[in-house]
Amino acid sequence: MPVSLTPNAITAINAGDVNLKPLLQVLDIKMIGRSQERNQERYRFLISDGVSAQHAMVAVQLNDRVKSGAVDKGSIVQLIDYICSDVKGRKVIVVLNMETLVPQSETIGNPTIFGETDAEAQKTLSAAGNIPLSNRVGFNEPMVQHSVNKAPPRGINIQNSANSTSSFRPSVQPSYQPPASYRNHGPIMKNEAPARVIPIAALNPYQGRWAIKARITAKGDIRRYNNAKGDGKVFSFDLLDSDGGEIRVTCFNAVVDRFYDVTEVGKVYLISKGSLKPAQKNFNHLKNEWEIFLESASTVELCPDEDGSIPRQQFSFRPISDIENAENNTILDVIGVVTSVNPSVPILRKNGMETHRRILNLKDESGKAVEVTLWGEFCNRDGRELEEMVNSASHPVLAIKAGKVSDFSGKSVGTISSTQLFINPDFPEAHKLRNWFDRGGKDTASFSISRDTMPGGSSRNEIRKNVSQIKEEGLGRSDKPDWITVKATVSFIKTDSFCYTACPLMIGDKQCNKKVTRSGTNRWLCDRCNQESDECEYRYLLQVQIQDHTGLTWVTAFQETGEEIMGCPAQKLYALKYELEKEEEFAEIVRDRLFHQYMLKLKIKEESYGDEQRVKMTVVKVDKVNYTSESRFLLDLLVR
Amino acid sequence: MDTSSPSAFVNGALLRRYIGQKVRTVIQVIGSDTGSVVGKSTDDLQIVVRGSSPPNPLTTYLEVIGIAESDNSIRAETWTNFGNSFDPQNFNELCKLANGEFKHMFI
Repeated sequence: MPVSLTPNAITAINAGDVNLKPLLQVLDIKMIGRSQERNQERYRFLISDGVSAQHAMVAVQLNDRVKSGAVDKGSIVQLIDYICSDVKGRKVIVVLNMETLVPQSETIGNPTIFGETDAEAQKTLSAAGNIPLSNRVGFNEPMVQHSVNKAPPRGINIQNSANSTSSFRPSVQPSYQPPASYRNHGPIMKNEAPARVIPIAALNPYQGRWAIKARITAKGDIRRYNNAKGDGKVFSFDLLDSDGGEIRVTCFNAVVDRFYDVTEVGKVYLISKGSLKPAQKNFNHLKNEWEIFLESASTVELCPDEDGSIPRQQFSFRPISDIENAENNTILDVIGVVTSVNPSVPILRKNGMETHRRILNLKDESGKAVEVTLWGEFCNRDGRELEEMVNSASHPVLAIKAGKVSDFSGKSVGTISSTQLFINPDFPEAHKLRNWFDRGGKDTASFSISRDTMPGGSSRNEIRKNVSQIKEEGLGRSDKPDWITVKATVSFIKTDSFCYTACPLMIGDKQCNKKVTRSGTNRWLCDRCNQESDECEYRYLLQVQIQDHTGLTWVTAFQETGEEIMGCPAQKLYALKYELEKEEEFAEIVRDRLFHQYMLKLKIKEESYGDEQRVKMTVVKVDKVNYTSESRFLLDLLVR
Repeated sequence: MDTSSPSAFVNGALLRRYIGQKVRTVIQVIGSDTGSVVGKSTDDLQIVVRGSSPPNPLTTYLEVIGIAESDNSIRAETWTNFGNSFDPQNFNELCKLANGEFKHMFI
């Protein structure tokens, strides 16, 4: 609770009491010209006793108190030594000595200028205060002049259109409904008293007068745009209150100028008189169906005495194992230990803009690991820091707020503009993770949900079948191909035509690879490229028979998978068989490749060959059997 | 394949069923002394293996075939280093199945 100011001090001082040693609040500090005598600045305070405010000059010996910030706007001070003299018919207070009791405080009470004319009063009071009160701006040109029942009656200034006082809205935050303060006397009366503070969760467009007290958890940059109405700018910030309610606040155009500089992440503000509209779910990922839009009458006041009841951030961390099941584009929070950081890579975006991307790996106690993609600024700032930490073998804990799930290759998490990264944060979850990691979590194997890193089909995306099921279930017959994994043994490899002559020319960044025909003695013609080449590339086109305990079938393997199966490039085998004519050696190599068991990923599709419909199977990936995961798979089958 | 002297697949808990009989198991080596190796079974119980010639050096995992002397010790006849990456969970499940539902397929 703020310190109480000495009541009626201003009146007393003006009446001649110089022994009061009152407690007053400094509402404003201005530097007034330079003294002619000694070339020094003079400062002028606006001091208040909570009800009345008056200017006071500051003796030069106190100047450095002002310069050092020992006394500032909002400070509560005790005047030790002062005088009040008459100058040109006005009372001028001069402070000779004082002590600062409370360096910072919100304006106490509802002070009005003591004994000054209206226009000046409005100017001073609206300029005063460390708290930007937008409503005061509105009072600079009062349209209707009426006295207020709250302010102390000021003899000459009642009901006089030129000179009446307006009430200035106090900036305290009452938790009760203060007495209504009506600005206009007449048929239309507007209750101008400050609104009650309510929880963010209770906000809705039909609420009427409201005020919220919340901390800024995130603040966006000013974004400029251009639409049919012309140029505009916008910025948003997110709020969190003591009940855990969150809401986004958005400002457009002129409102941006008013509030952009005064809003700081981490500080607590009292906000009122904004309009509530439905939240734009595309950009706004907070759990609130409404969003606040600030306008010219809105108020945003800094609350310097925060009581810690409002948390700094609100997270709902999910274990990495949950991300596996999350839908594409879900926004979530996750925390884990960084196990590796890749270098930053420049990426060309669809709109031609270049940005950067960095991939890192995160793992947690759920036994799963996930790839995290950092985009843009995150690559440089946070990415570099994380890279250095991992390189010096200190694996940091990383907390991500508002990351987006992507299902591009397995499931991964990427940063978006509203993502926030926290490295080695001071949360209980972070400490728990640190303990787990240091005590052995580091060495436990983690299944990555981001890629099929576990050969052998332990990734949840793979459909596992045996050979007989392909026919039984009629795989490949629908309009989309079927992708399955089988564990099977290579039982026969056709050697009659195991490769073809391919076009080596590049189309963009890929090789053409279409079959070329001989033209002339030593040249090859490609129909697609319409060009000849001196050399062709020999690429695999293998027909392989595979077999498991249920049956056998034929599959086709192209270059990459062919090389896996044969263990050497097609070029080499071709040369061996046709150029060097070493049949024996050739046959031996082929024989050697039989009866190896693999995990084969197959693409199955029915295609028409003239009148016939044939099911074509292509080997897309060849992997060695991983005994650990395969054993688990089999155990699982046994249990069911 | 020599089936004259079959050994039962055991883990820590199953060892007591075969006291005096030939068993085989895989343990994670915790410590070794002259003539004995202390290890952790795949179900997290302690097993002591005594014998004349354990392999040197020892890898993390060790297979032991020998006579069960008590519910937590084995007199080894054959020791085999099983390397540093071994899945104890799978082996544990094997032991359970080999002594339970599928016992008829084993000894």
